Amino acid sequence: MNAPGLRLALDEKPRAYRAGDVLQGRFSLEGVAPVDVRAVELSVLWHTDGKGDEDMSVHYFERVEPQNGQPIDLQHARRFSTALPASPLSYDGLIVKICWLVRVRVFLSRGKELSHEIPFQLGTVPHPHEVAT
Amino acid sequence: MSRFLRLYEKKRGERRTGSKAVGNIGEALFFGVFFVVGCIALAGMVSWFVWPEWRANRQFASSTCVLLDKRVDERAGADDTEAPTYLPEFHIQYEADGQKWDAKTYDVNRTYSTDREAVEAILDRYEVGDRYVCWYDPIHPQTVVLVRGYSGWLYLLMLIPISFIAIGGGGLVYTLLQWNASAERRSLLAQRAARIDLFDAGTGTGAFPTVPADSHVTDSPGTTLAYRLPGGSSTGLKMVAVAMACLMWNGLVTIFIVMAISAFRAGEPDWVLTVSLVPFVAGGVGLVVYFVRLALIAAGVGPTWIEISHHPLSPGHSCEALLSQAGRLKLNSLELWLACDEKATYRQGTDTRTESRRVYQERCFVRNDIEIDRGLSFESRCRVKVPAVAMHSFQANHNEVNWKLIVKGSVDGWPDYERVFRIVVNPAGNGDAHA
Repeated sequence: MNAPGLRLALDEKPRAYRAGDVLQGRFSLEGVAPVDVRAVELSVLWHTDGKGDEDMSVHYFERVEPQNGQPIDLQHARRFSTALPASPLSYDGLIVKICWLVRVRVFLSRGKELSHEIPFQLGTVPHPHEVAT
Repeated sequence: MSRFLRLYEKKRGERRTGSKAVGNIGEALFFGVFFVVGCIALAGMVSWFVWPEWRANRQFASSTCVLLDKRVDERAGADDTEAPTYLPEFHIQYEADGQKWDAKTYDVNRTYSTDREAVEAILDRYEVGDRYVCWYDPIHPQTVVLVRGYSGWLYLLMLIPISFIAIGGGGLVYTLLQWNASAERRSLLAQRAARIDLFDAGTGTGAFPTVPADSHVTDSPGTTLAYRLPGGSSTGLKMVAVAMACLMWNGLVTIFIVMAISAFRAGEPDWVLTVSLVPFVAGGVGLVVYFVRLALIAAGVGPTWIEISHHPLSPGHSCEALLSQAGRLKLNSLELWLACDEKATYRQGTDTRTESRRVYQERCFVRNDIEIDRGLSFESRCRVKVPAVAMHSFQANHNEVNWKLIVKGSVDGWPDYERVFRIVVNPAGNGDAHA
């Protein structure tokens, strides 16, 4: 069997959205037997990345687990779609940065885990400059 | 092994993120110890006290006994410092299952007391040679009691192990539930928990998530314009805090100063103590100066109010503001600024630090040489415009973007002062900074 290949793609290019836009995409997994997949999680979230400790909030979350012994088939691309919120907008501040991304995690048997993420831009707030006080 | 149990994970700037697995194990151990200690203590209390007491009340059979003798049983303390304890002991003869039994007893728990007088008072209620009702254990007839009932203190005491079990068990369940959950799933659980927290109305979760709620402004109507902004920081509280710090610091320093002076007077000067006291004395003087400055501003500068025509604001939009300054003052200048600060809170070791950077400020109003008479206030209107290219207000646990109106005053012969009024800036309609 080939090395596992987790693919994640957004429909929109470039990856810039406005508040209320619908974010759509798909993900798939190759090189892993469906019986080895314990669960799949897809999240659309923002997190902070700056001087402060990290804050994170999940806007959209979808977890798929095998149902009635039926393995999860990720050979065929699985689609997702969500309307983006009005806030917080992406922000590249001096010590506060807000980053939006789509992340997919695949939990495999024996505790292994695969993940892939795609950042995207929500809104168009420009980078600020420091002001002397 | 190190593959599965890393002590440290990724490094963020100057800080290292601890291993999640080690953290989980530590957390589980912490709560596990609480839970086990609680269980052991509760099991001990139940088996030694609660169960025997319950059986004596519900299952023991009654009989009649003859009191043969009575005495106070004294148990010496473990050492000289520990007081002796006492127990009323009655030697009785009773009949159970057609057989005569002999026993020394009182209650089922045999709880010793430090109050000898109370124990003697119990003895006084019984006369040697008289007949009394007693209750014996049908399974072990040699176990007999003269009194029954429930000990209230025992059930109160049980709250201690029960709280250990609740904290430890709850924490353990939480840790185990989170053990294999991804960061996103944990965050989602926390968000759901926050949503059911009825008392947490700090951050908007409706149309504009993470934008602070503006009810603190809209709940306060103005007299001229729509809303009166609440002051961002309470001078009174700040003064009390500084006064406390001032008293504690200088109180401690005074003790050492007295020690140093006593050494000088005794002809044995302690130079090490004297020299090392210098920075502490300087710190104390600094605190006193700061307190006096605050007191002067509080006493000399009257209240400052700002009213605005609408709220919340949004990028590219403006509102009318009314600035009002009371107090008998001669101001060199009075300014109103619109400012935006980023604020980040982070842990460094055991300290929690906060850092702030100003990313926008614009003067909306300035007036020089103002004289305010007693009983009157200076009032002036101006326009406050949020720039079209601006980040909205943002509030998370460790990161914030705060918009505020700042009044800066320079008073003749007094320290300069600054008063801050928080406002909320919503995102523009579609998320574009250019509205």
